[in-house]
Amino acid sequence: MIACGHSNDQMSSCVLDEETFCRCCQLFLEHSHSLCDGWSWQLVKGSEEGYLRKVALGNVRIRTSSNPNQITDQYIQGASSDQRQGRTSPFTPHKENDDDHNDEQYYDDDDGAVCCMQDSRSSGVIQYEYHILYSYSYQTPVLYFRASTLEGRSLSLEEVWDGVHPNYRQRLQHGPWDTITQQEHPLLGQSFFVLHPCRTEEFMRPVLQAALEEHRQVNYVVTWLSVVGPVVGLDVPLSYCTKVPAPSHTSPSPLQPPALQTQPD
Amino acid sequence: MAAVSVDKDCADQKLQFAPFSSALEAGFWHQLTQKKLNDYRLDESPKNIKGYYYNGDPVGLPTRLTLEFSAFEVDGPTPVRCCPVTGTLFNTNTLEAFKTSDKKALLEQQAKEIWDAIQSGAALDDPSLLCRFLLLTYADLKKYHYFYWFCFPALCFSDGIKILKEPATLEQIFSPRQTAALQSGYDRLCSETGTSAVPYFLVKYTEEDVEVAQLRDWDSFDNARRTIYVTVGVYDPCTLPQHPGWPLRNLLFLIACKWYVPKATGFLLDVLEVVCFRDRTLQGSRNIQHSIVFQVKLPLPDLSLNAVCPKSVGWEKNPKGAMGPRMVNLSECMDPKRLAESSVDLNLKLMRWRLVPSLNLDKVTSTKCLLLGAGTLGCNVARTLMGWGVRHITLVDNAKISYSNPVRQPLYEFEDCLGGGKAKAPAAADRLVKIFPGVVAEGHVMSIPMPGHPVNFSEGTMAQARKDVEHLEKLISEHDVIFLLMDTRESRWLPTVIAASKRKLVVNSALGFDTFVVMRHGLKKPCEPDDSSPSVSSSTSSSSSTPAEPAQLPAASLFSNIPGHRLGCYFCNDVVAPGDSTRDRTLDQQCTVSRPGLAMIAGALAVELMVSILQHSEGGYAVASSSDDRMNEPPTSLGLVPHQIRGFLSRFDNVLPASLAFDKCTACSQIVLDSYEKGGFNFLSKVFNSSHSFLEDLTGLTQLHQETQNAEVCMRTAIYTAAYTLQYIVQHKHCNTHYLYM
Repeated sequence: MIACGHSNDQMSSCVLDEETFCRCCQLFLEHSHSLCDGWSWQLVKGSEEGYLRKVALGNVRIRTSSNPNQITDQYIQGASSDQRQGRTSPFTPHKENDDDHNDEQYYDDDDGAVCCMQDSRSSGVIQYEYHILYSYSYQTPVLYFRASTLEGRSLSLEEVWDGVHPNYRQRLQHGPWDTITQQEHPLLGQSFFVLHPCRTEEFMRPVLQAALEEHRQVNYVVTWLSVVGPVVGLDVPLSYCTKVPAPSHTSPSPLQPPALQTQPD
Repeated sequence: MAAVSVDKDCADQKLQFAPFSSALEAGFWHQLTQKKLNDYRLDESPKNIKGYYYNGDPVGLPTRLTLEFSAFEVDGPTPVRCCPVTGTLFNTNTLEAFKTSDKKALLEQQAKEIWDAIQSGAALDDPSLLCRFLLLTYADLKKYHYFYWFCFPALCFSDGIKILKEPATLEQIFSPRQTAALQSGYDRLCSETGTSAVPYFLVKYTEEDVEVAQLRDWDSFDNARRTIYVTVGVYDPCTLPQHPGWPLRNLLFLIACKWYVPKATGFLLDVLEVVCFRDRTLQGSRNIQHSIVFQVKLPLPDLSLNAVCPKSVGWEKNPKGAMGPRMVNLSECMDPKRLAESSVDLNLKLMRWRLVPSLNLDKVTSTKCLLLGAGTLGCNVARTLMGWGVRHITLVDNAKISYSNPVRQPLYEFEDCLGGGKAKAPAAADRLVKIFPGVVAEGHVMSIPMPGHPVNFSEGTMAQARKDVEHLEKLISEHDVIFLLMDTRESRWLPTVIAASKRKLVVNSALGFDTFVVMRHGLKKPCEPDDSSPSVSSSTSSSSSTPAEPAQLPAASLFSNIPGHRLGCYFCNDVVAPGDSTRDRTLDQQCTVSRPGLAMIAGALAVELMVSILQHSEGGYAVASSSDDRMNEPPTSLGLVPHQIRGFLSRFDNVLPASLAFDKCTACSQIVLDSYEKGGFNFLSKVFNSSHSFLEDLTGLTQLHQETQNAEVCMRTAIYTAAYTLQYIVQHKHCNTHYLYM
């Protein structure tokens, strides 16, 4: 409703103003906290601007499968075999280090109280970082994301793609994966992948207009995220759609929301 | 994840802990880089940083200590339900310092601080002092290689810790009621302490109830009970069913030191029960039943040693499972050059989405382009090629940058003109690399020998000409597409011949004042023995040289559906050989007085033509599209593949003529190519050194001239290639004599 704005003017764009974006985010966050879904509002230092952020780990995405462990194994295996092929650089001056016998004498950690961990497993874990920002030029939310190993190395798009479970891959290859581009995060200046926002209005318009006709209220951010999130492996629990209300139309709307209720997340 | 199988005999079983796996977010390295560059610089002194761990992971994830970009803001917020851990960063300036730093001393120093906190009782007040880390780093900011080594110091009991009762899940130990009470008790503790996670706490329970308290409340909490049976809770990041995570280690030490020893009350700790508190929320439903509970017997600490810091461990193993540092190569995500490359590529890929799904970008970006001429056209062609992601661009020019150039030639600047001016080709190549470091650009300062411009003044000039020819031949061989962008017509002759002989795609562009031509040269079929008359249809090959032949064919066939191998070259429409540059016959000589926008238009069109050709399944052999095809189904995903684009700026109009190769062409006719292939430089030098009549004699143009004069027939029936042009011009009412090269 808010998003499509003025109902008479159907052809006018179904855009989202920043104030509504912030209020949508606030409501979104409240539900996230109740779910422990991990979203938080990040304020940028020395700026009024902020963004929604969530970090998820590699196998969270495919947990929904009927046999989570098995798939997780394959998933992680796949990722780590990439790394064996040299995508993760080994510690190059290793020889020198091996020669350094001094080292090994004392910090041999084996005090018998350490249980063995297979490190290949942990190195196969991928950290996904999702940011939702407001785009002034497109007047829509924009999803930024990056994936990194536990070492903090960002994956290339191909590697992210490799990490997608084959069952999903086929479907996504026809989908909007090719709308992903690389951009500097407008607030952090670091390189992120972006789901390009130029089609957002196009797929949001029918949803918003249908809602308008049915006098249903829609939280733009929730609806939008439920469309774009799965594309990049982001789980959006169904309850967001049922529990998160649209920002109240009538309420006085000081431009404050998520920024002020910042949960240290 | 797979724990070492534990001895079944419970009596001998020792408690084992899951060590932390360091987990760094990409933002951490960005932030470290910024700190190093802007704050630390050469300062190697220890810095306080912060990490956190979480006890809500799904099974299978490693026990992580995470550092994110906010790690440097020690007082900043910690993610909800995570335990903060303070740490010390030792960032060295050199790899050598990183390697030689005294790891033992670093560990002991950290262990001592923990030990002191235990001894002084500070750790009872603030148990977070028990869990800390140190991080040794060296950042090679030239290569974006980051070396790092984490240490999670833990104090050791020399004989280990005996398990009295093996780990079981909370579900097995606690009733649902007790579980609920534990959960609410823990939550109350969180709100009391104003945090969302409490790392260590005391627990006491009956069948009815569970109580939770802070460590510091030990005396009041347990006084009433005076059992020899104590339960502690630890916020446990581990997900293994048989092992607690690392944070428990130092707590056990604290307990042994503080509470084992009988106090005035005579209390003696016999059995310690540990609740490894694991707290997971899935889809909104919270669960702590998978927490584990076990009992241990703490060893009696040696009181005499109390003053001395006990043995400690904690350096993290590297991915090979060995004691050693880790290295991560972040050049792909941090090196601006690499970022520019991947951004350019991904941006181009956006074109495929919706607009041109079948676009074959690799075909474009992998094409090696040779640009002959680095002037207005060369600069604009190069820039447009870069826009298409072409990575291999070579420029050839013999001129220097003059003061009038930079305003029209976008690869040059005023500074380039000073001191006599830099050589254009290398300067252009340098600028391309500056614009986009991912490009492989080369500039060659070289003159291209031209017909009618003798090279036989001396041995030296001959040798130079031979060298230039060889150089040009080599360059043409090494590239896929040759752009002819020079300012004279005759300089296009040699590359036209060589490229035709080597079957290289040629894209040619020339400017008038307000007109331009952009064309692809016909691409001769791969060398075949039988193809002696390439210009016209084979059925009438015996009479192919007669000028009357085209008139017998329907006009439409002359201009439509000409396959790529039968298309003409730049010289096919000419009935005089190149070599006479004194007369105003070509567009080329006028280039310096062309309208300034023209070179950008023509340069861009030249590249776009190349890209369209590359998208066609037959490439340079593609049938030429004409203006008439504009309404038809386009042959490529990008549209038409014309032979020529002729533009008229005065009318803001382009047309797409196509013309056949001329069997008497002074550049691409079979006899010229044969002579070149057989005669090599000897043939070429004759061309350079002779007047234009040499080529005209060779190709039969001289005879043609005579015949036409004898027949006293004028333009209408004379030279058919010219007639095409004329017919075309009449069709389009462009009676612009600039196009009549006769």
